Amino acid sequence: MITSETYSKSQIYSDSFENDSEKYKMIAENVTISYGGVPAVKDVSMKFKEKSVTALIGPSGCGKTTFLRCLNRMHDMTKNAKVEGKVMIDGIDLYSKEIDPIYHRRKVGMVFQKPNPFPTMSIFDNVTAGLRLNGVRDKRILNEIVEDTLKMAYLWDEVKNDLKKPAVELSGGQQQRLCIARALAIQPEVLLMDEPASALDPIATQKIEETIIELKKEFTIIIVTHNMQQAVRVSDYTGFMYLGDLIEFRKTKKLFTDPKNDLTAKYVQGQFG
Amino acid sequence: MTRLIDPSLEKLSSMMMEMGNTAIECISLAIDSYLEGKNTINEVHDLSDSIRIKYFEVEDLIFDMLLKYQPLADDFRLIRSSTEISYAFSRFGRYAYDITQVRDLFGDISECMNEPLIEITKKVKHMIKDAVQSFAELDIRKATNIQEDEAFIDKIYKERLPQLIESNNTKCALAEALLLRYLERIGDHAVYMSDAINYIVTGKHKPSQKRIDSHTNF
Amino acid sequence: MNNIEKRQEYRALFKQNVQKRLIVDKIVRIIIISCVIAAIIPLGSILLEVFKNGIAAISMEFITQVPGSVGSGTGGVGPAIQGTLIVVGLASLMGVPIGVLSGIFLSEFGDNRLARSVRFFNDVFMEFPSIVLGIFAFLVIVLVLGHFSVWAGAFALALIMFPIIARTTEESLKMVPVTYREAGMALGLRKWVVTMRIVIAAAKEGMVTGIMLSVARIGGETAPLIMTILGSSLFFANMNTPMDALPLRIWRLSMLPYESAQLQGWGAALVLIFIILGINLGLRTLVLHKKETMQILKTLKEKIGGRI
Repeated sequence: MITSETYSKSQIYSDSFENDSEKYKMIAENVTISYGGVPAVKDVSMKFKEKSVTALIGPSGCGKTTFLRCLNRMHDMTKNAKVEGKVMIDGIDLYSKEIDPIYHRRKVGMVFQKPNPFPTMSIFDNVTAGLRLNGVRDKRILNEIVEDTLKMAYLWDEVKNDLKKPAVELSGGQQQRLCIARALAIQPEVLLMDEPASALDPIATQKIEETIIELKKEFTIIIVTHNMQQAVRVSDYTGFMYLGDLIEFRKTKKLFTDPKNDLTAKYVQGQFG
Repeated sequence: MTRLIDPSLEKLSSMMMEMGNTAIECISLAIDSYLEGKNTINEVHDLSDSIRIKYFEVEDLIFDMLLKYQPLADDFRLIRSSTEISYAFSRFGRYAYDITQVRDLFGDISECMNEPLIEITKKVKHMIKDAVQSFAELDIRKATNIQEDEAFIDKIYKERLPQLIESNNTKCALAEALLLRYLERIGDHAVYMSDAINYIVTGKHKPSQKRIDSHTNF
Repeated sequence: MNNIEKRQEYRALFKQNVQKRLIVDKIVRIIIISCVIAAIIPLGSILLEVFKNGIAAISMEFITQVPGSVGSGTGGVGPAIQGTLIVVGLASLMGVPIGVLSGIFLSEFGDNRLARSVRFFNDVFMEFPSIVLGIFAFLVIVLVLGHFSVWAGAFALALIMFPIIARTTEESLKMVPVTYREAGMALGLRKWVVTMRIVIAAAKEGMVTGIMLSVARIGGETAPLIMTILGSSLFFANMNTPMDALPLRIWRLSMLPYESAQLQGWGAALVLIFIILGINLGLRTLVLHKKETMQILKTLKEKIGGRI
């Protein structure tokens, strides 16, 4: 059971949660995820402030992607995956029996590592996929949302004259921004990003980072990344995971300049992994 | 495991130590020759120059490391503080030179010697040695000593300056005023150094009271 | 220093092989091309034969009239054409939905014991000789109802069709990368919406190919039709009477000792080939190149509209 005392006293969190009157959009408590009995994420708890960016870092296989995916119940799709613990948005537990996961999955959008626009649809159709296929038909609203989200994703100027073009004809970086727009179109409140720029070239990466900084003003963003400088650039808080455990979770600048845990220090300085 | 940044860190470390030791030599020489009445302006000038050259090399190396390695955590703090510390070394060299210049311009001033002056110079030499050693060993316990020494120097400085106005030996008064001034600045930089070393070890920015004062009392 | 020597040593190893490998490469290439030619020749010659022999029989009368008296060389295969279209069409209406849905089930929901058994039986079923399925249809429908009928024929052909469609649908759906399903789920779409609107759209080509293969297959099946629709010389009357079909007619005509009958047989074969080809191209264009067809239809409409 996690209390505010746990957060303030624990070695893991140090000084990150002093001012507990802050609004937390999403809270994960005692999350344990196992595949076929083998735990991949062990008793991890984190709090995510509203309108902030939290980065999750750690060596490959540490459980950060697994943890990220449980925040919108993606593990429902995986066989043999068992998720214990609570994930709360605005106080409501996503994993409680009474909640329809579909409804709350719309509150939490996700952008994947490799851009995956729907191959048979145009740019416009891709962005509106989440809306149309959920019954939103009003053309005016669809047009508005397309413009709004493509602008937020810094893609509008590049594609505004060609919205009917097949999405697969865009470059990798553009496709990824399209996926961001698509995720934003369903009006989520939290945005999960799984190494969103790792498959992209440096310029595209820069654009994605600019997008994230802009989106931060409105959304709560949680991003898994291998690139520590990226974490330093875009995030407010960072969590370091290793072998399924949360080792340290603090304000980004603190974690990267003065980590309290030896393991964290070793990892960020490139002394392993 | 040798990381890409490690050889550069070693080079930085050896360059810094070299600077530190040269600074100690430089200041000791300047102070001693002042007290003994000798003119060593050329030797001190050369030493000071070598520190200055090293300072630029160190700055180059630091920015090179930032460019290439984007260091974090301990590496980052070490490199960050090294800018402050290498600057302090370069200042030590400069003030040492300034001190010898007084002797050079004023001629023989051995009659201006007095007890407080000798006390204060001892303290300064001691302080510098402490600072360099503290950096070499990353030992923050010496910080308190440095701050005490510095407070003492400050006290003497504030006491003696008004007294000098009353003096009837203009040459000595001016020489002492200049010397005190330079010693006081050396003391300041030694304290800044200890703050920077403190940052490396503890990760906390703790601007000492001295630093805050020096910014507000200007 | 050692490294450089070693490298030279290793590099020397490679040099000699190249010439030999180029020759081997050429030889293999020639063998492969000859195999391809060898495979195409029979196919090509069949098409050529059928065309050569059958083209003489094609005429308006041939395509639209009922067969004349045996051996007379008059009349046509109208009923057979009609029968083929009806029976194949009906069989498709039955077999395609069931096949596609089974394929979807196996692919999207198929990670359990039930699915594994279904898949196994499906594969076994695919290998059944069509005459066995014909007999089955005979027993289940013809005997029960007491007469030959189009229902029985369509049923038998559907039985042949659906395992193929189920298999090809499953494979096509499986080829769609998981990441698109994940993207759909992450948008808060329900599983069946993701499957229907996103996954199937991406697997369209494979599925259509599968369906076309099975349509072509049943278009030419004869044995099951013998026991179910029997054959006749009349046009379609109702669902509960025997009906003619091209494979049946071809078979019957080829058995007759008259040259004129043989000629008609060739003609019927040619017609069958054209029909299968037509269905193939038609379906492909409609489903896969929807946009272009829509464009063409639109321009046609405008042109025609303009004329009127």
